[in-house]
Amino acid sequence: MNPMIDVRTVTKRFGSFAAVDEVSLQIRAGEFLTLLGPSGCGKTTLLRLISGFEEPDAGAIWIAGEDVTGRPPYRRNVNQVFQSYALFPHLTVRENIAFGLRMQKVPAVEAGRRIDEVMELVALTGFEQRRPAELSGGQRQRVALARAIVPRPAVLLLDEPLSALDAKLRKSMQLELKQLQRRLGMTFVFVTHDQEEALTMSDRIAVFDRGRIEQLGTAADIYHRPQTAFVADFVGEANVLRATVSARQGERIDLILPGGFVVSANAGIVPPQARKVTLSIRPEKICLTADRTDTGGAVPARVEEIVFQGATSRLVLVAGADLRLVALVANESSLRSALAVGDSVACALHPEDLVVVGWE
Amino acid sequence: MKIIPCLRILTLTVLCACAVPLRAADQELNLFAWSEYVPQGVLEAFEEETGITVNYETFASGEEMLAKLIAGGTAYDLIQPPDYIAEALIKNRLLLPVDFAQVPNFRHILAEYKGMPHDPEQKFTVPYMTGTVGIVVNTERIKTPIRGVKDLFSPQHKGRIVVVDDGRELVTAALYVLGHPLNNITPETLEQTRPLLAEWFNLIKLFDSDSPKTALLNGDVDLGYVWGGEAAALWNEDRKFQYVLPAEGAHLFVDVLAIPVGAKNLQAAHAFLDFVLRPEVSRQISDEFPYTNPNGEARKLLTDAQRANPASYPPARPLDTFRHLGDTGALIDELVTDLKNAR
Amino acid sequence: MQALPTAASARAHARPPKVVGWLLLAPLLVWLAAFVVLPLLVLLVYSFCQRDDLGRVVFSFTWENYERVFSPLYLRILGRSIGYAGLTTIICLVIGFPVAWFIARQTPARRNRLLLLVMIPFWTNFLIRTYAWIVILKGEGLLNALLQYGRIIAEPIELLYTPFAVLTGLVYAYLPFMILPIYVSAEKVDGSLVEAAHDLGAGPLRAFSSVIIPLTQPGILAGVLLVFVPAIGMFAITDLMGGAQVPLIGNVIQNQFLRARNWPFGAALGVVFTLLFVVTYALAQRRRRRHA
Repeated sequence: MNPMIDVRTVTKRFGSFAAVDEVSLQIRAGEFLTLLGPSGCGKTTLLRLISGFEEPDAGAIWIAGEDVTGRPPYRRNVNQVFQSYALFPHLTVRENIAFGLRMQKVPAVEAGRRIDEVMELVALTGFEQRRPAELSGGQRQRVALARAIVPRPAVLLLDEPLSALDAKLRKSMQLELKQLQRRLGMTFVFVTHDQEEALTMSDRIAVFDRGRIEQLGTAADIYHRPQTAFVADFVGEANVLRATVSARQGERIDLILPGGFVVSANAGIVPPQARKVTLSIRPEKICLTADRTDTGGAVPARVEEIVFQGATSRLVLVAGADLRLVALVANESSLRSALAVGDSVACALHPEDLVVVGWE
Repeated sequence: MKIIPCLRILTLTVLCACAVPLRAADQELNLFAWSEYVPQGVLEAFEEETGITVNYETFASGEEMLAKLIAGGTAYDLIQPPDYIAEALIKNRLLLPVDFAQVPNFRHILAEYKGMPHDPEQKFTVPYMTGTVGIVVNTERIKTPIRGVKDLFSPQHKGRIVVVDDGRELVTAALYVLGHPLNNITPETLEQTRPLLAEWFNLIKLFDSDSPKTALLNGDVDLGYVWGGEAAALWNEDRKFQYVLPAEGAHLFVDVLAIPVGAKNLQAAHAFLDFVLRPEVSRQISDEFPYTNPNGEARKLLTDAQRANPASYPPARPLDTFRHLGDTGALIDELVTDLKNAR
Repeated sequence: MQALPTAASARAHARPPKVVGWLLLAPLLVWLAAFVVLPLLVLLVYSFCQRDDLGRVVFSFTWENYERVFSPLYLRILGRSIGYAGLTTIICLVIGFPVAWFIARQTPARRNRLLLLVMIPFWTNFLIRTYAWIVILKGEGLLNALLQYGRIIAEPIELLYTPFAVLTGLVYAYLPFMILPIYVSAEKVDGSLVEAAHDLGAGPLRAFSSVIIPLTQPGILAGVLLVFVPAIGMFAITDLMGGAQVPLIGNVIQNQFLRARNWPFGAALGVVFTLLFVVTYALAQRRRRRHA
């Protein structure tokens, strides 16, 4: 099956700065794909290239089997939800939503029916005659969404649509958006810098950095098997450690951490010619024991800081001058109640939890 | 300029409201005169000699002067009305008699400019400059002979004519052509001029009282019905500009100096009158503004070229002057507005 | 559902001024009374008076001046003045809107520089600027010389002292009064609104008519008023660049005060004229309020 959107080695420069640098990306029909990255990484520029507000300097963009490179936005079958919503202040809610249908010259009766439907879908019934200025942030967001989906575009582009909402509203809107996307079966391309938002909603995530896609994969892929230190660090929290390859012993390989601590890893994840590797391990994967005796493979450390985070506590552990680790401990656990700042602990790093994100 | 005086009226109205008019008498002279008529050098020489400060305020037409004078505001010491306005002022007792004992230089004024119809007893006014209204021809462009108003307003010159934007002058020209005396302005004679003026107005390119010479110099028009002084300046610029007094009839205008009722600095006013009548001062005025000088001694000081200027000193012939019109002035304005509007 | 802002909170900004507010306003009120209300009252009184043969105002009541104002002659002149002013306004709008929109879409630094360019001519006296146009348009002037040099025309064409010259002068004098208010409106228009219109399928024309125009309407209305109203009364340009051939209402009024010495009639013209402005303004305001 052809991809809904096919970005073919597209480059976009602003002056000498390449905002999008030879990016290729295929987005499947009906998929919820998130472009995730820090601000200035090029994700919004890629979105604007798809919508047609920017033209690529090199490469081509295909939508639904058609080359749309060079086509103005009003002749592309994609609609966008803007970060600022961009609702027309001089029009009522209903007129805002009707705008796209009016441009498509949809007959009045059908347009009316479709508007009623979509207003019900986004729970805005009763607000038809309000103006945008008379709505709350969440309501405006729904109007923007309704306005963008009612013309039935092939793809809906969403540019950080939730960033202006408060945390609680944002959570509920995340779920609503995901449900909506499933019900409509529409392709969504969602831009965000919020990794949690990306993990919650996406079928696939493209992690952006400096104009390039660092990694493309499902949320679980990205989280559990980051391929670069940037991805490991940006998506969720990670302990990124530099280690020297010491000895291979069949299935196992010994890696020496700064301070001389030795950990074992699965030999399969370390390339044969690697001498040094960069490792990543999620804080919740570090197993702590209050046992002070030096058991094999565990790194002894001292608790420097404990931060309460609700269900868990975040522990900063110091194992010598060059090695600091962050670990999560459930607050209900007996271990947590036994620990205090300054205590010594043993940190077990299990081989299956270690991910190699770089080597040389 | 028409607008500058307007702006000045505004500024002055504001200033007058605030000014403190408590200076010692005869330390200053409030002169209300035509724009571009009293040389700056003459004013400065007078100030230097007498220590009197001259406040020189200008107007662009006799009507404007009258309008401002009767509106009140500033107490002028000396005004410079054209003859027919002076006549109206005398009739309405708005002028003070001149004490000619204080103006010995008045003796230089030629006899024909004394006791004229506007001031038959020669009590209120002193002639400043005089002139005629006539036709200027750019002889390089116009090869047909132009002798009078009829030749001027010939269809072949359509769009090549500038005239003074002065209803009375234009009506007078029409009266000449119709054979009426120039002061015979009644609703009936005005109606008679209407078709003639309507025909002329279609030929006129530009109405300009302030500087009709500009369009002639720029080459935008080739013929003009203009003030003699303007024509004289053109002749000085280039001899191709010839001046013709209309064959049908011509008149003399006399701009006079007079002291309005309410003047405060009478001594200064008389001193100024005597000063500008000095032959050498009067000559200086003629140098700058080449109108006809009524001052006999001053004329003797002029160069041959100045005396030969046909616009300043046209061949002698009997000339009438304008008389005060009364109410019919407003009729002229309405007629001219109507005719311009009908174009 | 989020709570809507209550009416009370919206009205908080519009509470009536207290004593201090009135004190602060006092200079303005005095100014308005002395230089607007009082002259208008004088005008109103004069307009019902008569004149004597010198042109002095005689205080005896008459309707005559108004009868004259509404005679066909002056109504035609008024109509022509409105025509000139209307045409000037339209040309200013057509030229000024794209300029204002373009400037408003630039970076702030460039915006200021471009606005400066719009305003620089105002640092020169109005008359001098008008005379500059005379130098350009006259028979042996710059434009004709250029056209002849470029062999576009063989003989000089008549530009000065024509309706074209009057319109040129009017448009030149009033263009900035159109550009500046539209710029102020255009600057506030969020660029993403235009993008949203394009995104929803509106081509350049549709985006312009259904988004840009409604959003800049306050500026357009202000610009139209700022150009139309003074352009009706303008007399200097018709005199200088039109050769005083065809009178406009401003010339007629000027004549009554300076030449014909018929102040009562001039006052009547002024009163009718002022009323006309008030009505125009009120209509514009009503339209604006309906759209707000």
